[in-house]
Amino acid sequence: MAGLRTILFIEDDKPISEMYTRTLERNGYVVDFAYNGAEGIQKANQKHYDLILLDIMMPEKSGIEVLQDLRGEDGLGHPDTKIIILTNLAQDKTSQEALKSQADGYIIKADIVPSQLVEIIGNLR
Amino acid sequence: MQSTRFKRQTLALFFIVSLVPALVVAAIWYVDTQLGDTNSLIVDIHSFILPVFLIGVVPALLLSFAFAELLARPVRRLHAAVQRLAQGNYQKLDIPNSSGEFGEIAVALDQVATQLSQTISAAASETALIESERNKLRGVLNSMTDGVFALDRDGRIILFNKAASELTGRSIAEVAGQLAEKVMPFRQGGELVMTRWLATEAGPDQKIGHWRNLELYRANGESLYVDVQAILLPQDPNGISALVTFHDLTKTQQLEEMKIDFVALAAHELRTPLTEVKGYLDLLAHEATRLSKADREFLNRAIDGANQLGELMNNLLNVARIEHGELNYHPGHLDYLDFIQENSRVYELLVTGKDRQFELKIPANLPTITADDSGLREVISNLILNAIAHTAPQTGKVTLQVKRHRDEIETSVIDNGTGIPSSAIPHLFTKFYRVEEMKAATRGTGLGLYISRSIIEAHGGHIWAESEEGKGSTFTFRIPVRALVTQANVTDNTTKITRGAHGWIKNNPLH
Repeated sequence: MAGLRTILFIEDDKPISEMYTRTLERNGYVVDFAYNGAEGIQKANQKHYDLILLDIMMPEKSGIEVLQDLRGEDGLGHPDTKIIILTNLAQDKTSQEALKSQADGYIIKADIVPSQLVEIIGNLR
Repeated sequence: MQSTRFKRQTLALFFIVSLVPALVVAAIWYVDTQLGDTNSLIVDIHSFILPVFLIGVVPALLLSFAFAELLARPVRRLHAAVQRLAQGNYQKLDIPNSSGEFGEIAVALDQVATQLSQTISAAASETALIESERNKLRGVLNSMTDGVFALDRDGRIILFNKAASELTGRSIAEVAGQLAEKVMPFRQGGELVMTRWLATEAGPDQKIGHWRNLELYRANGESLYVDVQAILLPQDPNGISALVTFHDLTKTQQLEEMKIDFVALAAHELRTPLTEVKGYLDLLAHEATRLSKADREFLNRAIDGANQLGELMNNLLNVARIEHGELNYHPGHLDYLDFIQENSRVYELLVTGKDRQFELKIPANLPTITADDSGLREVISNLILNAIAHTAPQTGKVTLQVKRHRDEIETSVIDNGTGIPSSAIPHLFTKFYRVEEMKAATRGTGLGLYISRSIIEAHGGHIWAESEEGKGSTFTFRIPVRALVTQANVTDNTTKITRGAHGWIKNNPLH
């Protein structure tokens, strides 16, 4: 598992976060939740996580704003934390390109299943 | 018949009337010869005058009146009938008790009236028909979304439909009788192409002219872009010399865009429930321990269905993006031989997993090209999945062949399957096209080849199909070694961003 163990899941849709979490926990990961963007930023700044899974369409603060807050000039940067966007929102080319400087991945939820997410995370280094 | 009766009656009347004075004269003569005395005669005559008058003159007068009345009544009736006729009442005259000559006149008059009435009702129904046709035509013209107007011999507007009025922002009253080149100046590069054509082509023959994307100023000064069709009508009896229709392109484009937005939105909104369907099926597949063989089969079918649905949505979204010109391409330097060898393992598993034979034919070396690897991966996957679908297990064979063709790299997917009817080949790469004969056998969306074509064309390449029914098909694409994209847009693949069809992970292979 190459040292990657703790995950913060920032996602407003409970059935979806529970679905992924179940599989992640069965595979030995420790998962915390945040149900909106603001809560996500707060939790990310309180504790170190190896990985943040980040939805885009959320109340309070969108995933894009969370990313700016965590990785932008005024943010803490969290250099040891990987951030993967996990969304069903199909960003256009320009927006995706812009995200590349700050995010470590962009995954369309509907294209993967929980077991594939575990596989992808297992391959991160 | 009537005529004879009339004669008999008349003769009888004359006879009676002329008999009365004769009887009077005869009576006076008789009295005179009997008495002989003048005085007494005078007295007697005086005493005779009253009875004679009563017996002779009164009936004569009465009879005359009766006779006159007998003559006058049919004349009056005829007169009334003619007057009714004159007033436009052409119904059957119905002249009662007419006999003799008057009867004949009445009958003749009646026939005239009937004929008139028939002629007039025929004309009336014709007028009604013309009126209803005119209303229909007016309805059609005004319900059309295309603008329509007609010109007279001098090039002045004599007809202008509702759409023409709405599109140009000019009222019918405003344009009626105006020269078309003044109020409807369709321009192409500043030239009045349509009106000039009308003037130069005018002749004895009917002619049709088409123009695409002409500019027309609306009343408020805005530009309108339209397709125009004009018909020259030299022989038109109504004095129309030309009929012009024009189609608003802005509206078409807006509609097209709305449709695309809807598709993109639908694909996006449908993904969320699909995520749960696929995700929980995956949990079930991994966690359920006491599933029977049949249960497991049902579960697998549900997973297959959900995956197909996901693919369909992504294809629809891709089509929407293609039409928006927004398909995400990230061209980079690509070692094509490496790329093919790496991916061929996945293709081989795909093909052999379906009990078909797989063969890879590649040259010893190939140049590095500028291309979007995930785009090309999608195209080759599409072609291989098609080849699998159209071959039979065990006997089926799919070959992936790559070779250099001058300044292009040529990639072919060859199968020994059912082949494609030659009539279908020209349509294969169009949107939603599915070969009729193959619909039952395959479950495609009719989008894969359309998307493939778009990807290859974005690389400056081309794609085509060759096939012989019963022997198999070959799908080939060529892309130039020197790609058309500028160097500035090229990302260096050494940063190793691995992109899946719909996502990417830095420094990590997604597939």
